[in-house]
Amino acid sequence: MPKHITSGLKYLAAVRLRNQGLSQKKIAEKLDIDRSTVSHYLNGSNLSWNSIEFAKILTQLNNKDFLLVIQNLFHDLDKIRVIALIFKEKNYNGIVNDSCIGCGLCVDLCILEAISLNALTAQINSFYCCGCHTCEEACPTNSIKILEEKDDQKRERS
Amino acid sequence: MIKNVKEVKGKDFNIKRSAAEGRQLSFNDHICIGCGICENTCPVGAIEIASVGNVSRNYFNTEFSGHKKIAQNMVSKPNYVKVTIDEDKCVLCGMCSGLCPADALDLTIGGESIKNMESYPSYEKSMTIDDDECVLCEKCQIACPRDALTVKRDLPKRSDLVTGEIEVDKDTCINCGICEELCPAEAIDVTKEPGSEDIIIDKDKCVYCLVCKKACPVDAIKAVCRSCSYGEYDFDPEKSVTTGNVIIDEKECINCGWCEGVCPTNAATVTKAFEGKFEIDEDKCGECGACIDTCPCNALYFPKSKGSGDMDSSIKIKEEFCIHCGACEKVCPNDALTVKRTKINNTPTNSKAWQDAIKALKN
Amino acid sequence: MELKVDQDRCLGCGVCVVSCPVNARISPENAGGAGSKTTETIMMVENGFIKLFSPDKCEECGTCQMFCPCDAIWLE
Repeated sequence: MPKHITSGLKYLAAVRLRNQGLSQKKIAEKLDIDRSTVSHYLNGSNLSWNSIEFAKILTQLNNKDFLLVIQNLFHDLDKIRVIALIFKEKNYNGIVNDSCIGCGLCVDLCILEAISLNALTAQINSFYCCGCHTCEEACPTNSIKILEEKDDQKRERS
Repeated sequence: MIKNVKEVKGKDFNIKRSAAEGRQLSFNDHICIGCGICENTCPVGAIEIASVGNVSRNYFNTEFSGHKKIAQNMVSKPNYVKVTIDEDKCVLCGMCSGLCPADALDLTIGGESIKNMESYPSYEKSMTIDDDECVLCEKCQIACPRDALTVKRDLPKRSDLVTGEIEVDKDTCINCGICEELCPAEAIDVTKEPGSEDIIIDKDKCVYCLVCKKACPVDAIKAVCRSCSYGEYDFDPEKSVTTGNVIIDEKECINCGWCEGVCPTNAATVTKAFEGKFEIDEDKCGECGACIDTCPCNALYFPKSKGSGDMDSSIKIKEEFCIHCGACEKVCPNDALTVKRTKINNTPTNSKAWQDAIKALKN
Repeated sequence: MELKVDQDRCLGCGVCVVSCPVNARISPENAGGAGSKTTETIMMVENGFIKLFSPDKCEECGTCQMFCPCDAIWLE
């Protein structure tokens, strides 16, 4: 069962990557699947529509639940990161207040391993942050704020 | 799911977080001095300290007026731990470990203590003995309130410190044993039994004091001391030195400074984590002695009476041995003691939260 | 922790009452050994046995427990 769901997600991911202009070869590399499988996906053949429908529902979950699901489906950090970043809708900035005590709880909890400790203060890598707020909620000193990047900031980026 | 697991071993315990970094906080009850700094510092309120006055006055070993307690049926009372940490609240940040002046709490990350990590601040306190100056007199070992010092010394041989000649004429000797009884060095062995009379002088023990020669009723002993006149030629100065070293138990040492205070050659040097002021409100002190029993540094004492009916109305302190930990202040039932910390000696840190925690120690 | 007494063990010697520093602060005449004039003290000997009057004032220093010759008063 999990295998079907992952292939459903990979199908959706392949479609997105295609829309971003990546070649079939690049898509195959990124998703760690055969090029022929990518070709099947994009041609609409050999597809399990039930799996895809299910995968679509998963992508509609809130950020936290979606990340928990893909963590348990893919297990490997690099694979989790690939999928998470493909389906990321918005960009986030993680701001850490100097009340941070360096306990490392956020580091251990972050599914994307986007947080590291530097000189006893947490630093959040915005590239990987998917805005699930797990770190913010768990922080014992309320030192973290995860903020959505505004649209104009996003436009400036691209 | 990230969860903390607590493992209890007697009065000690450790708390581990089930995650990749491998954080572990361990507590050593024996080392703990009951100052309560951990309880005040913990940012999540996970630490609770017991009433240390009761804990330090161990129920079972109390002697009253020099005699063991009269009661025959000693009811078994529980032994209390000084510090309790709620593992569900603890986030293993290590602040308690970093700020503990006794190093009773230790946070390790991946097996290495934060005391060895530059990013974590630690107290600049030390206890060192200059082996060149130390004469192994053992005063520090006796004075240390925590038995943290052990002196290992090898004394020179007596025969390398004295020189002379001694001989008994066994034909003249009447085996009366007077020399044996008088010999201050127990160097003479006389056998009196008829048939097996003998006298043996152990030259490794003899100090050539000549007492035996002077006392011998038949002048059977010929002896001469050469130490004063020929000492220069006979002695090897290297062999007359006591050798050894002092072993410091760094875990037990509380940096009180007693060793430094009693050392006759200034070989012991102690630096402390805190500088501060200690005040007693003499009117409030009820002289119960709880502070004296709690103080890890033997810095507090009952003053001696100056005469009949003349008594000080409060306990006293030798502040040079105080480390300003505040355990006495916590335990005093009449709030008679005030411990102020005016300066903290610690290595720097970039974390503002940790800097604030250290600043908060000053009161 | 709180102060506990066992009247069956108590000899009524009053050492706990006299040695308690909180008692001494509240009622200095305690030191004379004839008891105090007020029930504000933590404990007193009444009819030959120890009785707790204001145990909430106990600061848990353990002095009474240490001096009692027969384990009639303790902190638990």
